[in-house]
Amino acid sequence: MTDLTRRRFVELTGASLLSIAATPLYAPQVLAQAKPKLVCIGGGPGGGTVARYVNKDAAGAIEVTLIEPQKQFTTCFFSNIYVGGYRPFKSITHNYDKVRKEGIRVVHQAAASIDRDKKQVVLAGGRRIPYDRLVVAPGIDIKWDSVPGYSEEAAKTLPHAWKPGPQTQLLVRQLNALKDGDVVVMIAPPNPYRCPPGPYERASMFAHVLKSKGHKKSKIVILDPKPNFSKQALFTEGWEKHYPGMVEWQDPKVHGGIKSVDAKTKEVKTDLASYKAAMVNVIPAQMAGKIARDAGLADASGFCPIDPESMKSKSDGNTFVVGDACIPGDMPKSAFSANSQAKVAAMIIRGELAGARTFPARYSNTCWSLIETDDDVKVGGTYEPGEGKLKAVTTFVSQRGEPAEMRKQNYRESIDWYNGIVADIFG
Amino acid sequence: MLSIGVMGVRSVLTSRLHPARIALLVALGVPVVLALGGTSGARTPDLELGRYLAAECMTCHRVAAASGGIPNIYGMTEVRFSELVKAYRDKRLSNAVMQTIAGRLKDDEIEALAAFFARTKRP
Repeated sequence: MTDLTRRRFVELTGASLLSIAATPLYAPQVLAQAKPKLVCIGGGPGGGTVARYVNKDAAGAIEVTLIEPQKQFTTCFFSNIYVGGYRPFKSITHNYDKVRKEGIRVVHQAAASIDRDKKQVVLAGGRRIPYDRLVVAPGIDIKWDSVPGYSEEAAKTLPHAWKPGPQTQLLVRQLNALKDGDVVVMIAPPNPYRCPPGPYERASMFAHVLKSKGHKKSKIVILDPKPNFSKQALFTEGWEKHYPGMVEWQDPKVHGGIKSVDAKTKEVKTDLASYKAAMVNVIPAQMAGKIARDAGLADASGFCPIDPESMKSKSDGNTFVVGDACIPGDMPKSAFSANSQAKVAAMIIRGELAGARTFPARYSNTCWSLIETDDDVKVGGTYEPGEGKLKAVTTFVSQRGEPAEMRKQNYRESIDWYNGIVADIFG
Repeated sequence: MLSIGVMGVRSVLTSRLHPARIALLVALGVPVVLALGGTSGARTPDLELGRYLAAECMTCHRVAAASGGIPNIYGMTEVRFSELVKAYRDKRLSNAVMQTIAGRLKDDEIEALAAFFARTKRP
């Protein structure tokens, strides 16, 4: 990044002088030159991006702490590409060494609660971390009881793999153990959920692996509680082209509702039929991570309302919620969205804590989905605050029948995006 | 008195800094501000705006593009950068993501971005 310019130095110094004049109640703290504190809960594309962007752009004026229990973070984004066998698990797993070297304090403990009155995060061990501004980006938690017969225990044999790591590795082991003629059942999630095209990209990756192994009779049945899904026309076209007869998507009018899943027998019952599956991938309904809900930041939907001009929680003017835990309006829950929202939050935080200039918030998203080798489709848009939410301004989506070279180029783009966003989060 | 000549009249009327044009404008009561050094009308680029807008670009554009999908834009000249972004904005270059991103950029924002990336060698 460019060195601190004279203009920015004057800006920061001027802001400090103004804050001394304007806030006599805080004068002793300012005179003691205590740095304002930013604490980020969650080291993924939301929290991790805010931490790095505030730290690098504030050039030492703000003390940044990142709380993330995992020392190694496996990205949910691109985990389907690992499922498809296109890259190894270690390529989607990253550490925080570079983040530490940049001067951010990284705390590898879970945040247990937030004391909003005292402006302190309470860690699982009891230690308290004070903040002036807080970013809550815990991602999602699974609603275990949203699929009859499912539970945290059941996930040990019927993986969701919607929170990545060991679950994703379990899913891959199960996938690679399948025999020709086996039935795979995927239970897709209801809206709103992390990564709208994700389940269908994953089903495509299942089909790719089985096709690569020469399976002729295996079937993948997707039972969906939704009447339609993201990039549906593109996936449908791709499945017919690459995996004819292998992938079957059922909408709720067809299957009539999921009656039960059995973790022991892997039997899945709907109103229409019963499946004796060899592998069941249950992707249940979701909600914001527990820390956000326990802190009173979520509403009845289980996700957190935010002010689209700043990403601030509507419940707390000192707290920002970014990423999958927030209610994102027209934006999807995606890593790209989390990273985009994080940059607006970072700007507002620098404005409030260090007097930096702020600009009208703007956001963007692109989601890439791999259907088969070199056949990648994308959807995305730009967003701005409007009608009280993050409102879509322009959108785009891949078209059916596009040239093969375009779809190949989409895949190359997605790889470069992955490398880019990983550098944005982990340095 | 300045010697202008037939061909010189055109240059007087079109050249912002031609002394005769300045004299004419002053005589007509039009305020004239002389731009000192460089091209006429040059503005100091808004690097802070450029930095904020560049944050969006930096998710995808890195210095080394692993698979050749997304090019490196760090250190690109301002003229080249502006040309390319405007080409996407005008849909003369095809890429749905870039057309959408560029589509909402105004000229001063493109200028700020171009100035930022010209001066920034790495993310």
